[in-house]
This record gives sequence, C-alpha cells and structure tokens, in this order.
Amino acid sequence: MAVDTTYYLILSAAVFCTGLFGILTRRNALLFLMSVELMLNAANINLVAFSQYYGNLTGQVFALFTMALAAAEVAVGIGIILVLYRNFEDVDVADAATMRW
Amino acid sequence: MADTTWLTLAPAFLLGLTGLLVLYVDSIGHSTKGPIAVLSLLGSLGVAGVAIALPDVLGLGPAGWSFVSVTLLAMFALALFVEPGSQNRRLIAGLSTAGAVGALGVAAAFLFTFDGEPVNPFGDALVVDGMSLFFAVIVASVTAMVTVASYNYIAEHSYQAEYYALVLLAATGMTLMASANSLVTVFVALELASLPSYALVAFLKENKGSVEAGLKYFLVGALSSAVFAYGVSLVYGATGSLQLTAVQNAVTGEFTGMLGMGVVMVVGGIAFKTASVPFHFWAPEAYEGAPAPISAFLSSASKAAGFVIAFRVFTEAFLQVSESAGEFLVLGADWVLVFQILAVVTMTLGNLAAVTQDKVKRMLAYSSVGHAGYVLMSLAALSGGGATATAKIEAGQFVLAGGMMHLFVYGFMNTGAFLFIALAEYWDVGRTFEDFTGLGRQAPVASVAMTVFMFSLAGLPPFGGFLSKYLLFGATVNSGFVWLAAVAIVNSAVSLYYYSKLVKALWFDERPDDKKPLEISSRPTGLYAAVIFAAVVTTAMYGVFGPVSDAAVEAAAALL
Repeated sequence: MAVDTTYYLILSAAVFCTGLFGILTRRNALLFLMSVELMLNAANINLVAFSQYYGNLTGQVFALFTMALAAAEVAVGIGIILVLYRNFEDVDVADAATMRW
Repeated sequence: MADTTWLTLAPAFLLGLTGLLVLYVDSIGHSTKGPIAVLSLLGSLGVAGVAIALPDVLGLGPAGWSFVSVTLLAMFALALFVEPGSQNRRLIAGLSTAGAVGALGVAAAFLFTFDGEPVNPFGDALVVDGMSLFFAVIVASVTAMVTVASYNYIAEHSYQAEYYALVLLAATGMTLMASANSLVTVFVALELASLPSYALVAFLKENKGSVEAGLKYFLVGALSSAVFAYGVSLVYGATGSLQLTAVQNAVTGEFTGMLGMGVVMVVGGIAFKTASVPFHFWAPEAYEGAPAPISAFLSSASKAAGFVIAFRVFTEAFLQVSESAGEFLVLGADWVLVFQILAVVTMTLGNLAAVTQDKVKRMLAYSSVGHAGYVLMSLAALSGGGATATAKIEAGQFVLAGGMMHLFVYGFMNTGAFLFIALAEYWDVGRTFEDFTGLGRQAPVASVAMTVFMFSLAGLPPFGGFLSKYLLFGATVNSGFVWLAAVAIVNSAVSLYYYSKLVKALWFDERPDDKKPLEISSRPTGLYAAVIFAAVVTTAMYGVFGPVSDAAVEAAAALL
C-alpha cells in the first residue's frame, strides 16, 4: 500500500523546521551541525518521495549525492570546530566574537 | 568514434589535476621518492601501452588514453624534481600557478574559437558554452594571481601543499559551477567550491580571527546549502526533473505554491555564494579574518561563480519567453521582483556599512557586498525593455552581459585590492586607515596600483571599473529601470567617499604620532607581481574591453 506523497511532504517540512529551530536557538557548534544534517535529510525525504511519485530515479540519485556531500561537509565542519575548541576552549558559537557581527 | 566532448571541460580538469599533483608532490616529498617514481613510470608506460593496443577500453578513446598517460608521465617527471624532506615550496607554487595559467589559456582559447554551439559533456548534466568559458577565464585568472601572491604570503606556514591544493580544488568547483546545467550538478559543484573554501578561511589555525571567520563562514554556508538543497527538492517535487530546461518545460499550473517556495529557497543558496542580502553577513567576517589572498579569491572568483549559477538557473529553468504575449513569463515566485529588492538592499547596505568602517580590509569586504548588489541588477532588470518579445530579449541579453563584464573587471580590480592588503599584512602594517598613512612614500609602486584599484572600484574613468559600470548601468536604463540605475549611481557616489579615504591615507595624510613608523624592508616578488599585473589589466581594460564584451554579449545570447 502506497502512502500518499503529501504525508512525506509534511514529514519533511516538519524535519526541516526542527533543524531550522535548532540552528536559531542552539549555541553549541556540534548541535548546529546536527541541525544542518536534519535540514539536509528533510531534503532527502522529499527527493525520495517525489522520485517514487514521478516514477523516475533522478531524485533518488540526487539523494545519494546529498548524503555524500553532507558527510563531507560534516568532516570539514568538525575540523573547524576542533580548531575552534583549541583557540577558544569551548565550542560555543557565540564565544568566537573577536570581530563584531 | 569515442565521445570526446568531455575534453571541452579541460579548464576544470586542469585545475583539479594540478590540485592533486600538488598533493602528490607533497606526499613524495615526505617519503623516499625512488619507489614512487618507478611505479609512476611503469604505470604511465602501462597505460600508454593499453592506449595503443586497445583504444576503446572504458570508452575513453585515444584522446582520453593519451590524456591519462601524459598525466602519469608528468607525475613521473615531477617526481624527479622533488626534494625529499623539504616543503618544495617553489615547485608547489610554480606547479599551481602553471595549472591556473594553463587553465586560463585553454579557457581563453576555447572562448575565442567558440562557434556558438553549446556542447553537453556527460549527457545534459553539464554544458560548455560561451558563458561557462567566460567565467572559466575569470576564475582561472583570479586563481593564477592568488597562487602567485600566496608564494610570499604563506612562506612561513606549514601545510603549503594542502593550501594550494584546496585553492585549486575550489577553483575546479567554481569552473564546474559555470558549466552546471542541472540542479544536481549545480549543488555538487557549489559544494566542491564551498568545502575547500571553509578550510582555507580557517587556514591560519592558530590565529583566532581566522578560525572565527572560518567558523562563521562554515555555519552560514552549511545553513544556506541545506536551504538550497531543500529548495531543489521542492522544485523537483513540482516538476519531476532537475535538468534546467526540463524543469522549464515541465512547469504546469499545478504545484505553483511548492515551486514558488523552491525558487525562493534557491535564491537563498545563491545569495550566500554571491554574498548578497539576506545571506551576506558572513562576508565581512570571513573576508576580514581569512588570509588576505583567500579573501581575494573568495570575493572575486567565488562571487563570480555564484552569479553564473544565478544567471543560468534563473534564465534557463525559471523563465519562459512568450512570443505571442511579447513578455517573459517568470516561473514559480516573482523572482525578478525579489532580485530588484535584493539588489537595492544589498548595494545600499554594503556601501553604507563600508562608509563607517575604520579597518581597511573590512571596508573592502563591505564594498564587495555592494558590488554584488550592482551585479544583481542584471537579474533584477530582466523583465523590462520594450513591448515585443524580441526587444525584451535584446535588452535582457544586454543587461546580463553588463553583469558579466562587471564581474570580469571586478575579478581583477578587487583581487588586486585584496592582494595589496595581503602585502600590507606581509609587512605587518596594521589594519586601520591610520596604519596605512604614509605608505605611498614607502611603497610607491604598490600604492599607485592600489590607487588604481580604488578609483576603478568607485567607477572613475579611465579605469576598467568605469567601463563595466557604464555598460551595466546603461543596460539597466535601456531595460526601463531608470530608478534602479539611479540607486546604483547614488551608491557609487557614496562608495567614492570611502575609496578615496584610503587613497588620501596612502598619499596625503600625516602619520599620527602614536603610530610606530613604517618599516618596509622587503619587496616580496610574488605579491608585487600579482598586484602589478592586476593593476595593468585594470588600466588596460580600454584596449580589450571591446572583444571581451562581445564575448559576454554572445554568452548572454545563449541564455535568452
């Protein structure tokens, strides 16, 4: 039995908003990274669901690319958070404020 | 007959392969080179043998096989120059510059022999046309200037090979952004350009400013790429395809809300890459904290690459030309209106913020935001220009070409300006306008070059910036957007204030007593060469502006 695509869209919108909420409220850089992952995975849910809806594979293939890129992005991000910790002795995003925003 | 269309991507391949070669040189620098040299020789001979015996294996064809074996042979030859146990600074910097200059040469040669027929390597996912070659030229020239300047700038740092490799890989991504013809390749190329850039901004990892800049750039970048990806997924949901023209053809009356959301989110991703409102606030931080050559690289090449995506995605996927009604149909959201607002807000915010800065690098960073606003006009003014479809198309091509030309000139004048800052950082001059006082007497040649960049950025004749602004603003007026051009002109007038403030500091202001006297003991060759080259091109733009802008107009003609 196929689930209606609308439900997937609602799910992905909810996941996306959860991620966005996390980004706006959390000051811990690692939680920020997790929130970005949520947002990217919301896009993946959409892509796979629409891929099934349209019966073509484009969306699924793109979802694979997105996953690989998300992993690469986290690798670079954790590297930056590591040097952040070495310089500021914390992973609080708001601590790194020697220049003004 | 083997498919050789992928050879048209040679500029991107050259940049990427050079990046990998740099890492290879570094890795054999750390080991004993004998075994690796022998292995690469055997490998290249083996590949050449396969190429002669069975040209069609893997579908590469003779051209592909000779490309692979020449690369491997070059790796063998390189191994002979590597000195074990050293950084091989000269070799690595030389190799990177050679790669960038090679890519520039190939891209320029392709551009001027281009017959107007777009080539689609790897299916429809990529396209090589006038615009992609034009932007490959911009990216490769900026890369070449940056690698030359970095030779002095990062002389004292470790991890040099990684630095150059990241610059070259980011440049590969930017060149591919210019060729991306599907939302998938747009996203992948965007990330290929972004990920090395994050690391490069934080390259001075013991410098708090650099790490902070890298963090902020990364956070905003990750957020905007997630927004972009979600936007792409919505566009896919509304149309069922990701290839740009297929998206345009698949747009129906259904799902307009979803498509509209998707388009707005795609605008967000592009705003980040071009440092435009609302994703601009990383730019002053990242440009101020990053090593100055990287600020030059990001504010010129990365911005240009962001705009090429904007030009292609919005004209190919989200715009239909209706011959009968004599107008452009804007698909999804009314993005032309969005770009009008963004253009005005971006240029005004950038210029007003630049006025209030007392640090030179930060002033340049805000001026870079302002220039993004000028170039946004070429998308904002698309819907105007005459009553018939033909008139509209002509006006649209003109205004797009204006934006491209401004990015081209900007690639030289802005890179040069940031490289002058790199020179000042190399001398440890300081960061504020006051610190720069009296530099004109101490370093007259570099200061003359900086004066050229400042006046050119402000748009004064007789420099390149005047011509490109004239073309862009004129084209905007031609499209019927007099008010938009008026805002841009007022902004240019404001910008003249802070640009000339720096010129005044360099040449006329007395050095305050509490500042230590300038001590300039060295003349770094690489930095000087890059700055002077940029100044010469900015000044000589009068000679080459005609043919280059013809190429830009042709490139724009392929879009509309």
